[in-house]
Amino acid sequence: MAFQVHGPTGRPRRSPVRPLMLGVLFVVMAVPVYLLVVNSFKPQEDILDNPFAVPFGDLTLRHLIDAIQSPQYNVVKGYGFTLFLVVMVDLFCIALAGPAAYVIARSLKRRTQTLLLYFLAGTFIPGAALIIPVIYVLRSVGLANTVTGLIAHDVASTLPVSIFLFVGFIRTVPATIDQAAMIDGAGRLRTFWQIIFPLMRPAVVTVLILNSIGIWNDFVSPQILLSPGSGKYTVTTAIYAGISQYSTDLTKVFPNLLLAVAPVVIFFIYMQRHIISGLTVGAVKG
Amino acid sequence: MELAELTRPADRPAAGDPADRDRDRDRGRTRRRARLRARAVSFGMVGPAVLLYTVMTIVPVGVAVYLSLTDWNGFSSAAFVGLKNYRHLFDDPNSTSAWWVTAIIAVVGSVLMIGGGLAYAIVLKEKSRTNSFFRALAYYPHVISALILGYLWAAILGTNGAINNTLAHFGFGPVGFLFDENLALISLIGVIVWAGFGFNVVLFVAALQTVPAELTEAASIDGASRWQTNRRVVIPMIAPVVTVATVLNLVGLVRAYDLVVSLTGGGPAGATQTYAYVILARSFESTKVGYATAQAVFLMVISAVLALLVTAVRNRQDTDVAG
Repeated sequence: MAFQVHGPTGRPRRSPVRPLMLGVLFVVMAVPVYLLVVNSFKPQEDILDNPFAVPFGDLTLRHLIDAIQSPQYNVVKGYGFTLFLVVMVDLFCIALAGPAAYVIARSLKRRTQTLLLYFLAGTFIPGAALIIPVIYVLRSVGLANTVTGLIAHDVASTLPVSIFLFVGFIRTVPATIDQAAMIDGAGRLRTFWQIIFPLMRPAVVTVLILNSIGIWNDFVSPQILLSPGSGKYTVTTAIYAGISQYSTDLTKVFPNLLLAVAPVVIFFIYMQRHIISGLTVGAVKG
Repeated sequence: MELAELTRPADRPAAGDPADRDRDRDRGRTRRRARLRARAVSFGMVGPAVLLYTVMTIVPVGVAVYLSLTDWNGFSSAAFVGLKNYRHLFDDPNSTSAWWVTAIIAVVGSVLMIGGGLAYAIVLKEKSRTNSFFRALAYYPHVISALILGYLWAAILGTNGAINNTLAHFGFGPVGFLFDENLALISLIGVIVWAGFGFNVVLFVAALQTVPAELTEAASIDGASRWQTNRRVVIPMIAPVVTVATVLNLVGLVRAYDLVVSLTGGGPAGATQTYAYVILARSFESTKVGYATAQAVFLMVISAVLALLVTAVRNRQDTDVAG
């Protein structure tokens, strides 16, 4: 870039630009995390007085433990329900998207191909705009304010991209494999689940990562499709409900936010390469 | 086949040119039956996905259009009001100001994310441990819920936040990062860019790694500077990815909602209300559901237009690659 300094030969000399840019990046990206972690272990006065400092004498686990044991808007309890949603949505998404994608990928008929476009149209619809009519639909099928309704909506919202990625992947699997399975007497359903599905591991991993992170972080759907009266909180809706109660008490804000991001960040560090490539592929191809 | 011949109804006379045609017909029948069964299985495999998707995604679009023509409040029965809600879209100051806010966020945010993404992608494109660490560092907000990022930044930028409390030590009054009308929008865009540019970095790094080294070498042998090489050779090579990223950013930012809820709550005085925020936190909350769905339909149309743009761009790209 322009920041490079050039010697007379036109060859770039070592310039301060790269270290400078990386330094800025490090500060800008790391400081919020630093503040989040450090202030989760500090008493209110220390947070207000000197948010950047680490008062080694005053550090305490009390506020974190309070947050974990909090009777109201408990984020850790939210883990359980959110994880349940993630698992259910993942299971149903794979169970529905897999076979559908197989049929679409293996069919040569134009009619089946338009099905793919039909599914893709869904990616163009912004979720926030769709959520109000979804309430109306759920109410008319008797699933308003139910976890089943929320899961049904979440699964439907994951289908377009999942089916698209699966179809793309299945098309790279030679159809001779299917024919061999059929000659051996396997039906279509069995051919898919026993022969093709095990080969789709990379695509399945991508879809699982994409869906799991999406559902874990989702705020609009659980907030609007489950009324506060249901008593069911995901991590995000628990934080939302809690913050309005304790907004000025920073000894509650920081530990709760730390608890909310910890699982995703640990998951991210652990599965970094898969996550980055999965989310990128999902966004670009979807 | 023998079995089929045996079960052939006796009253059906064997055709003029004997067994041949008969056998063909029977073979055709079993084949047709097998095909029917295969079709039923295929239908059973696609059906559930199509059904759920239709009921939960396509039907609601229709419902939205219907509700947008009514004065439904979410509880009682809905009365048809024609295009009243749509006319209201253009004379409701909430709605029109939200469009400006959304457009500014989408355009400024996209430009900054693309610019920052490109700059850092060029710096981080080489494969090395350090670089992948910094790429991950730029990327991590992408996996965290926007709602939570917003609360974290509110605790940093708020009147009682980390920055203002530190500034107070040096005798500076509180800066209204979130409470000054202009600053609040700048802060919101800043946090959006902070959270989203890492995604662009990763996208561009992947694209940059496909640019053959011969091209940049040739350029530098011809005496091009680093800047000229990047500007004239490398960036044009990845132009298709830049276009896709631009539209992805635009489509994503037009929907901005979670971060607005947690960072500014749309304030001060509505200065950071995006369109999605107005739909859900204003119209919907105040039980003007009919009007909210009219706004939602409008947002869908805008998103669809932007999305069609993606498809058009991608198609052009595909033919470019093919040609």
